Amino acid sequence: MFTRRSALAAALTAGLPGLATAQSGQVVVGTWGGDYGDLLAANIDKPILGPRGLEVVQDVGPQDPRKTKLIAERQARRGSMDVCCLSDVDMFTMAQQGVFEPVEEGRVPNLARAIPSLKRPYSAPHIYSAKVILYNPAKVPTPPQAYADLWDPKYRGRVGLVDILHLQNMEAASLVAGGTEHDYEPGKKKLMELRSLDVKVYPSNEALAAALKSEEVWLTIMWLARGFMWKKAGIPVEHAVPAEGATSICFEMAVPKNARNRDGAMAYLNAALDARAQTAFADRMGYAPTVTDAQLPPELARQISLTPEQQAKLRTPDYEYIARNQVALIDFWNKEFKR
Amino acid sequence: MGTLTLDALSRRYGATTAVERVDLDVAEGELVALLGPSGCGKTTTLRMVAGFIPPSGGRVLIAGQDVTRTPPHGRNTGMVFQSYALFPHMTVGQNVAFGLEMRKIGRAERETRVREALRLVRLDGMADRLPRQLSGGQQQRVALARALVVNPAVFLLDEPLSNLDAKLRAEVRFEIRALQQRLGLTTLFVTHDQEEALTMADRLVVMERGRVRQTGTAEDLYERPADAFVAGFIGRCNLLRGAPEGPGHFRAHGGALLPCLAAPAPGASVLALRPERIAVATEGEGLPARLATVTYLGAQTEYHLDLGGTPLVAIAPTPPESSRHRALAPGDAVLAHWDPAEARLLPAEPGDLPDDTP
Amino acid sequence: MAALLLPATLLVLGLLVAPMAMLFRISLNEYSAAQMMQEALTAENYLRAIADPYYRDVLGTTLGVALACTLLALLLGFPAAYWLARMQSRWKSLAVILTLFPLLVGNVVRAAGWMALLGRDGAINAALRSLGLITEPLALLYTTGAVIAGILAVVAPYMILTLAAVIEGIPRQVEEAAANLGAGPLTGFRRVVLPLALPGVAAGCVLVFILCMNAYATPVLLGGPQFKMMAPAVYDQFVRGTNWPFGAALAFILLVVTLTLTIIGSTVLGRHSRSR
Repeated sequence: MFTRRSALAAALTAGLPGLATAQSGQVVVGTWGGDYGDLLAANIDKPILGPRGLEVVQDVGPQDPRKTKLIAERQARRGSMDVCCLSDVDMFTMAQQGVFEPVEEGRVPNLARAIPSLKRPYSAPHIYSAKVILYNPAKVPTPPQAYADLWDPKYRGRVGLVDILHLQNMEAASLVAGGTEHDYEPGKKKLMELRSLDVKVYPSNEALAAALKSEEVWLTIMWLARGFMWKKAGIPVEHAVPAEGATSICFEMAVPKNARNRDGAMAYLNAALDARAQTAFADRMGYAPTVTDAQLPPELARQISLTPEQQAKLRTPDYEYIARNQVALIDFWNKEFKR
Repeated sequence: MGTLTLDALSRRYGATTAVERVDLDVAEGELVALLGPSGCGKTTTLRMVAGFIPPSGGRVLIAGQDVTRTPPHGRNTGMVFQSYALFPHMTVGQNVAFGLEMRKIGRAERETRVREALRLVRLDGMADRLPRQLSGGQQQRVALARALVVNPAVFLLDEPLSNLDAKLRAEVRFEIRALQQRLGLTTLFVTHDQEEALTMADRLVVMERGRVRQTGTAEDLYERPADAFVAGFIGRCNLLRGAPEGPGHFRAHGGALLPCLAAPAPGASVLALRPERIAVATEGEGLPARLATVTYLGAQTEYHLDLGGTPLVAIAPTPPESSRHRALAPGDAVLAHWDPAEARLLPAEPGDLPDDTP
Repeated sequence: MAALLLPATLLVLGLLVAPMAMLFRISLNEYSAAQMMQEALTAENYLRAIADPYYRDVLGTTLGVALACTLLALLLGFPAAYWLARMQSRWKSLAVILTLFPLLVGNVVRAAGWMALLGRDGAINAALRSLGLITEPLALLYTTGAVIAGILAVVAPYMILTLAAVIEGIPRQVEEAAANLGAGPLTGFRRVVLPLALPGVAAGCVLVFILCMNAYATPVLLGGPQFKMMAPAVYDQFVRGTNWPFGAALAFILLVVTLTLTIIGSTVLGRHSRSR
């Protein structure tokens, strides 16, 4: 998506920092497309950064190739992204590789108003949600109380999981087994139990949504935000916050060390934390704001936020545990559970 | 070997008629040539005999058997294709043996017959070659051997000489004819080359726009053409439009009154007169004419005559140098004479005459 | 001439060989959870992949699906290719475009179509249910059959067009000559058309086999999470497990197996067509 002129400008900006003004030029944002990308453009790129002379170019694609690109460009002097959007687990894994600039309040002032538990030294939290149980109220008249309810034999063949959330599913199973987010080992046995209860595994969120809609499956483990969107789309689901405690999911933004326009990228992170920009994501995508001063309409807040009690039990994934074990975990998931 | 009979054989493609009610009887051992300009339906007729094109109407009988609905592989015809159509992945021997294999003939007999067939076409010792290692003439002979070795009831040749050079063509023409006569092959032969047809065939069928114009021996067609098209297509011929004027005379459109055969064919509108049947003289009997051009052709000389506005071509043996006739030159007054029996009055259809403007 | 060839050769080397060489180098490295990859020279990744029954299964599934698809594409594609090659009407170019039509849609979009067709509430189940033939929907999606059908739809055009190009080069008169000599349609096909079409059969099979061995989107979307072929397994290692060395080793195993079978297959077919 580079024009020759913009590439030249980027090169000049990068090569001659003294000549470039701090917050101008081009910022390349590696992000998801669809609603997320559209909302970024409508609420951050155009209204906030446009007037300051920052031109935002979206490098749209799925998360996995973006991660791969970060690793592949790790050694390069100049990377192709200024801002990289990733979910929390992947962001931690990448940060471990030392590919990101530190993110501090000095350069991103809006971080001062971010929810403290979501702050990381290497990224800015953008939006967040919690892992909950989604169920079909017509087929499951008593709302489930805990993840453990998915193991009830009366729901044999009616529990669906999505393949791409293998880590999240393993964590939930571990909590059912009395374990913690710091060790998924106990969950393995539980998952094998679920397997013998004919759990269905779907390749994508869309496939799971179709199965929920056709009432092929009645229960699943999913992000609250996605449940909210599915409900809006007419899929018969309600959410229940598990007694074991919900786990947070946060979508974060970071600045690669080899970004061409680091100052512009930091300005982008700051704009993403702007209260006005944050509420739009809540309404359209069901993700809660990560800054304390963003006000949601009460009805919307009820549907996508946790109660203070639930909030108190909110778990943060053990990123370090995951990063250390993810190769072994995916092996278990593929070779034992799914086979 | 058997007879071949076409009975009102027709083929239509939508509104166009490729072959229209062709009747033909080929006797055992006879070679009949289908002759005509391209697009006249001769190849379509041959392919209907072979079974590659289903007729729209009429019947094909081989040795008295109606084979109209029989698929090609059940007809026992032996065909030589224009492109030879040898199997490129088989040796010469395998090519020739193919038809015998299809007829479930045992290995020993097969080998003997293949050897004989190859000897017949003078390709002994070539059995292990691949077709692409042979010259065009040799490939053609393999195609002949392959078609003959199965003793077909009818032998079909589709312009088999058109891919050979002129010298080879004359040679192969003779060879095929000799073979056909020696083996007594009932043969249908398609060609657009009238010399080829005249020299090889017992009888010829002249076709034009899907219809048979005339069937007969070479002499029949040359001496007694049925219509102006045949007269013009076989050999050279003066064809003059006009109308009979009393018995024994024909008024040409140019104005000349020409003596002709007394009894005209019904509907006759063309006078046909072969150039070599006209005598050109300076004295004696004949119609007065003016020489337009004189063309020396070696053995012959061609005279273009003008009979008071009616053009006529005459061809005569070139007179000896001592003869007064050698001195004839354009502009000279001469006399053109012919036996009135040589001047035939024939029917003509639009387009039959080369200079017709229908 | 050499001067003209040099830039092209360099380009091919750069675009084709260099990434492969890098991938091979990566496959000899060691995985480390902290640094993802550590420089090393070890065959450990290959040994692990070969020793692991899971990956032997995945490779077996991949081979089975690829062979089945190649064979089916050949059996179904030959009549279509023959018909296309022998077609003389003015609609021929339209027919060629229609054959190519499936390739105008991306694999993912096409797979979505199959999902709509094969799903529990898909067109097939809906039709069977409305006809009263079944009461419970059939499990069509996420089966080996669905993957084979999905891949077949992708590779069939390659097979058909490759075969059609070769069949077009077989003169119709050669077939007619066989018929004239007493060969029925089946015998004529077996003795004349098939042997002459063998180079096309070989080329089509090799092309299709390679495409099938490397299928990614179709097995993922139509086979479901439990169904594993090599390409998705490689992808898993690279982007989900972030184990590049092992992923690279798997990729090379896939490459070597595909290449070996391709060479064996085309040699056998090539020898067969020469010996005739």
